[in-house]
Amino acid sequence: MKMQFWGVRGYVPTPGAEYLRYGGNTCCTALYGAGGEMVVLDTGTGFCQLGDTLMAREFGLGGGEMTLLITHTYWDHILGLPFPGLVHIPGNRLHIYGPDSTRGSLEMVYNGMLSPVYSPVYGLAHIGATHSFQPISTDPFQVGGMRVSAMPLSRRNHSPIWAYRVEEGRRAVVYITDVRYTDDQIWKQALQFAAGAQVLVHSAPYTRTEQVQDYGHSRVEDAIELAHEAAVERLVIFHHAQSRTDDQLDALVSSYRRQLTDEESPLIFDAAREGDVVEVEITMVVEVASFAGNFDHHHDPSPARSRT
Amino acid sequence: MIVRIWGTRGSYPVARAEMLRYGGNTTCVEVRVGDSCIILDAGTGLRQLGEALGREPSPPSTINLLITHTHWDHIIGFPFFAPIFSPRNRLEIYGLQRTQSSLRTTIANALSDPLMPIGLEDLRAELSFHEIHEGLRFQLDSRVRICTARSNHPYRALAYRVESDDAALVFIPDTGPFHTVLFDDERIEWTGTPTPNTAAELLALAAMRAQIVDLARGADWLIYDSQFTDAQYARFPHWGHSTAAHAREIAEEAGVGQLLLFHHDPHHTDAQIDAILAEQRATCDSGLIIAAAYEGLELRKGERL
Repeated sequence: MKMQFWGVRGYVPTPGAEYLRYGGNTCCTALYGAGGEMVVLDTGTGFCQLGDTLMAREFGLGGGEMTLLITHTYWDHILGLPFPGLVHIPGNRLHIYGPDSTRGSLEMVYNGMLSPVYSPVYGLAHIGATHSFQPISTDPFQVGGMRVSAMPLSRRNHSPIWAYRVEEGRRAVVYITDVRYTDDQIWKQALQFAAGAQVLVHSAPYTRTEQVQDYGHSRVEDAIELAHEAAVERLVIFHHAQSRTDDQLDALVSSYRRQLTDEESPLIFDAAREGDVVEVEITMVVEVASFAGNFDHHHDPSPARSRT
Repeated sequence: MIVRIWGTRGSYPVARAEMLRYGGNTTCVEVRVGDSCIILDAGTGLRQLGEALGREPSPPSTINLLITHTHWDHIIGFPFFAPIFSPRNRLEIYGLQRTQSSLRTTIANALSDPLMPIGLEDLRAELSFHEIHEGLRFQLDSRVRICTARSNHPYRALAYRVESDDAALVFIPDTGPFHTVLFDDERIEWTGTPTPNTAAELLALAAMRAQIVDLARGADWLIYDSQFTDAQYARFPHWGHSTAAHAREIAEEAGVGQLLLFHHDPHHTDAQIDAILAEQRATCDSGLIIAAAYEGLELRKGERL
C-alpha cells in the first residue's frame, strides 16, 4: 500500500511562496492498494490536484473507480469535490462514505454545498460520474484487498467526525483529524483504533505552548503521545494551520525529532508535505519487535491521563 | 483612490509554484478612498487583507464588503477575515437579493454546522446585511458612490462600479459574453452545440451587455473576467466565463483607462497568463492599456502600469 498527500493544510487554502514546500491545499490523502484500488481520504482542494493527475489514466476515459472516505463536512474536507474533470465524466465511479450530520445525511450536505447559491454545478444530480453515498458505520468493509474500518469521535453540539483505518495485509494506515481529546473515553477509543498502525496521520495544527482560539483540534504533543501509546511506527502530522510557514514547520519538525531522539523513542516523526509518497511497509523490524509488549495491550489500554 | 489586489484566481484557490506570480488566492480586491474601506468579494485573498488591516496604525472600523455572488470562490475567505472577530468593527455586507434565500441565511448556513463550526452570533463585529439588485446607483458614504449591474453568470451575479470624486473602478469578475448563452436562475443544459436563441433571449442579452458597458464607461480601471482561452470557451460556454478577447471588446467599447484581466483559470500557469496577455497587447490597436491582475498589485489614480 502506498500513501500520497495531496492536501495537508487545515482550515483554508494558503497559496503563497512561504507555504510552497509543505503545500497550501486543504485536506486530501490518497491510498493506492497493491491491486490498483484507490481510496481517498477527504476532498479538500488537494482533491483538485489529485483529480488533474488522474485524468491521464483511466479516469480520463470514464473507466476509473475510487472510494472516498469523508471524515466530516467542514469546508477544508469537502470543497474540492466538484472541480476535477473526472467527477463530470460519465462512467467513472465514486463510492462516497462518510457520516450523516446533525442537519441531514452526507448526501444532503454535499447536495447543499453544490446548490446554485454556492456552486455552478446546481446539485449532485449534475455530477456526471456515477456516485453513491453510504453512511459510514463501525462495520468494517473491503475495497478490493483493502479493509476499511471507521470510528466516530463525537463532539458535543456538533456533527460527528469519523476516523478511518485502512489495512492491507498486516499494514495499516490510521487517519484521525479535527479531534480534541477532551475526555478519557475519546482517548481510549483513538488509542485502540490506532494500535499498531504503521502510519498514523493525525491533525495537529498547534503545539501545547500556543494559546490559540481552537475549534477542537489536537496539539502536536497529543498526537505524539497517542502514537507512542498506540505503538505506531510513523506519525505524520497534517492539517497545518494557515499561519504556519514552511520555515516554521521545518523548525517544528526538527525540534520534536530532537526531543524524540533524546527520549530514545523509535517513533518516526514527520509533518505531511504535499506530493510526498509514503510506502506503508513493515520495515522497522527491530523497533516493532521492541514494542511487542505494547501491541498486546491494545485491547486493554491503560487509563489515559486526564486531558484539558 | 487606491486599489489593491489580494486574490485574482477563479473557481478554486491553487497553491502551486508555477502560479505564484499572478497568485493562487481567489477573488478579493480592496478599495480605499480617504478613510473609506471597500472590499470586493471575500475569496481566500481576504485572509491576508485582514492581516494587513491589522498591521495598520489606525485600521478602518467600518468595512464595506460588496459581494458579486456567493459561489464558494467568492466567500471562502470570509471566516478567516480577522476583523469579523473584533467588537470594534462594523461590517456592512452587500449582495444580491434573492427570493430563494436571504443573503444573511446564505452566509450563516455556509458558516455553521455541518459545514463549519461558526454561528453568526460568534462573530463579534457588528454585521449588517444589505440586499441589493442590479441597476442601482447609491451613495455608500460621503466619499463613495456605488453602481450595480447584472452580469451574465449562472444563478445571476452583480457587477460593481466604485466611484469617488477622483476615480472609478469597475469590478466584473464573473460573466460570460453576451452573444449566445443567457444565464438566469435555471441551470443551462449544455448539449455540445449552441442552442439557437429566441428573439427574447437575444434582446435580454443585448440589454444586459448595454448595462455592463454603461457601468464600465470611462472607468479608470476595469477588472474583468477572462478565465477562458478560446478553446476552453468553446467547450464550456455554459459556465458563464469570458475570454480575454471578450473582456477587451467591452473595455474598448466602454472607453476605460485600463483593463485588468482577472478570475484566472485555476489551471493557467504564470507563463500561460503571460501569453494570454501578450496576445491581447499585440493585437490591440485601440490604445487601451491591458494588464493581467496579480496578487499584490496596487493601483493609484494617475499611476499606470
